[in-house]
Amino acid sequence: MNFEKLDALSDDALRTFAEKVGIDVPPELERPFVIEELLEAIKEDSEDRCAAKDAPVHVVEKIFSGSELDEFDASLSAAPFIEPRYNETMIRLLVRDTAWAFAFWDVNDDEMDAIGAESDDPGFLLRLMEESADYSIQGEHFDIPVGQTDMQWYINLPNEGTRYRVDLCCRTRGKNRILARSNVVTTPRSSPCAPKSGPSAEETMQSLFFLSGADDLDIRIREEHHPSRILSCDDGE
Amino acid sequence: MAKGYLSLVLNAHLPFVRQPDFPRFLEERWLFEAISETYLPLLRLMRRLDRDRVPFRFTLVMSPTLTAMLGDELLKRRYVAHLDMQLELAGKEIARTADDPAFAPLAAMYAELYRAAYEDFTVLYHRDVLAAFDVFYKKGRIEIITTCATHSFLPLFRDSPVSIAAQVETAVVSHREFFAKQPTGFWLPQLGWYPGIESILESYGIDYTVVTTRGALLGRPAPGFGSYAPVRCPNGLSVFVRDADSTNAVWSEESGYPVDPDYRDFYRDIGFDLPIGYIGPYVEENATRIFTGFKYWSVTGRTEYKRPYDPGAGSRKAIEHAAHFVRSREARAIEASRYMERPPLMVCPYDAELFGHWWFEGPQWLEALFRAVHDSAALTFVTMPDYLEAHPDNQISIPEFSSWGDGGYADVWLDGANDWIYRHVFKLIDRMSELAERFPDESGLKERVLNQAAREVLLAMCSDWALLMRSGKSNSFARKQIEDSVTNFTRIYEMLCSNTVGTEWLTRLEKRNNVFPKINYRMFRKKR
Repeated sequence: MNFEKLDALSDDALRTFAEKVGIDVPPELERPFVIEELLEAIKEDSEDRCAAKDAPVHVVEKIFSGSELDEFDASLSAAPFIEPRYNETMIRLLVRDTAWAFAFWDVNDDEMDAIGAESDDPGFLLRLMEESADYSIQGEHFDIPVGQTDMQWYINLPNEGTRYRVDLCCRTRGKNRILARSNVVTTPRSSPCAPKSGPSAEETMQSLFFLSGADDLDIRIREEHHPSRILSCDDGE
Repeated sequence: MAKGYLSLVLNAHLPFVRQPDFPRFLEERWLFEAISETYLPLLRLMRRLDRDRVPFRFTLVMSPTLTAMLGDELLKRRYVAHLDMQLELAGKEIARTADDPAFAPLAAMYAELYRAAYEDFTVLYHRDVLAAFDVFYKKGRIEIITTCATHSFLPLFRDSPVSIAAQVETAVVSHREFFAKQPTGFWLPQLGWYPGIESILESYGIDYTVVTTRGALLGRPAPGFGSYAPVRCPNGLSVFVRDADSTNAVWSEESGYPVDPDYRDFYRDIGFDLPIGYIGPYVEENATRIFTGFKYWSVTGRTEYKRPYDPGAGSRKAIEHAAHFVRSREARAIEASRYMERPPLMVCPYDAELFGHWWFEGPQWLEALFRAVHDSAALTFVTMPDYLEAHPDNQISIPEFSSWGDGGYADVWLDGANDWIYRHVFKLIDRMSELAERFPDESGLKERVLNQAAREVLLAMCSDWALLMRSGKSNSFARKQIEDSVTNFTRIYEMLCSNTVGTEWLTRLEKRNNVFPKINYRMFRKKR
């Protein structure tokens, strides 16, 4: 992408492209400056991607060589042609990495109407709970208030190697009610387990871990690990 | 005895991009470019090694969508038409550059490459690239393994084992259909592993797979040999570990071999450099510029002022880099073997299409690598089954959830640019299971309808669309693939709910999305 290619775009396409790459362009900003901002953002993005540790995915992108429209594809893509929801009350949780999960949910229209009839200003929240291996709730949880029109959320999960589930709740007349319960997910660990045998095995393992590139992956055998726990934010219910 | 083993794995995959409704389609070029620049050069190098009696052993992953497209008659015809067009452009380029001493030999080189591709494809292989690879598979030179039906990133579907089993089952059936053999290995797309997947893989007769270094080192219990030996899950599935150093040597965008100044530059292409009046017939019909494959410049460095490409210098560098790779692996093998009572194994998995397509000299590097290892006293190439035969006892461990994407987990396939797809894909899976339970014994038209529904579910699970949305490349195309699958499936679902089947529409859809002809929708029934 260079100045000439961007300059060939219409003003609208330029602004759509800027929006896509996350640049806030004031309406009064003149065209050459918009292009300059865009070029800077593309350069930064490219540098960030080069600096990332795992290159294979970036390289894979090159298989899919596209057209000159690639980088301002957003200006061409129409709104989705599919209904955004299925009018059902549900919630699902997907683990992204050691610290984040993605929740998406929906509330059936009839149920939403009933909630609206109960309260003019119902509150909605996601209640995150830790679950033990025997599927019992650990007792601690925290709540994330969400808006009535929200349908998805990235949730920060406090502990690695821990099972979580989330309840979609609504609050009317001072009481919380569970609308839907998610699947249970487990966050991955970022620290290795200790070797089974004694100190010599540990020394060998450390050497081979080092040669395997564990340091580059920030994987270190730690003496002891004290994961932080969920701080209870119980609303006293 | 060798001091170390190398196991090369090439993952050949492209998503299903067949578009029969259009006379020419940009994304079908992904396949055509991969045939010309990767698959045929790979076959050529294998033939040369065979001729020179240089032993070579490697694993080739052939994804079910790729095998389906390589076996498709329409795409074969279109590939030949594509070569005709490339040869015509090559002729024009020879005339255009006739007086230019730097570029004339390059135009001639491309003319020769496309001529060789035409000759190989039509005369030598009778348009059957799969059969050509199968020859080396049956001869025992290479091991061909399979991967998910539509390259799905499995960790995100771990809560839906029926959909994962459907991906594996379809892949195994497809492999048997094309190669008449049960696959023993299974490539996890994006190396996406999660604890628990071993039971599904094992239930389909899979013996081994590969995970990232991160996934293995974080396994439970920790692997005593790090990444230098496979581990075995309690159910018997062997899990090999990607060697991080070997990956970085090739893949690093900062310091990997392909960014050497002497290699051919991937980005400078006459499709973008020459006037549209000249290049117009060879790019998109709406005069949108694309890569044509004619690239005349070397990487040179991080500069706009590139040097003309010198193929001789590129070839010499590929041989040098192969020798460097072997020396580095030898040194690492000697170092690691101090801590092990068996030769360390270094598994080197790469995406096949980058050899030749992005890294033009990649096939030359591979050939030089096989020749260099043949001359090395310290290293031997093995396939993963070869290793297991020599070393059947491996430590019990279950790797941790991991992938080879940025961050090491699912960040690439689950972020703000693509997270919207999962609501729909999970809905499709749930509804497909519901249909399979409601209609377990259908035949005739209804079975066709249900099978097409199952195809649409699998197509929607493809991880490539999420990756493209995140990268911003072919975003609208990727988005449309998901939307089309959701729309097609939903229409089928509604048809079945109202007991009205539009035969004409169904037949059209079956002809368009004709992947997995032997699909069995009943695989979406809950396992009992």
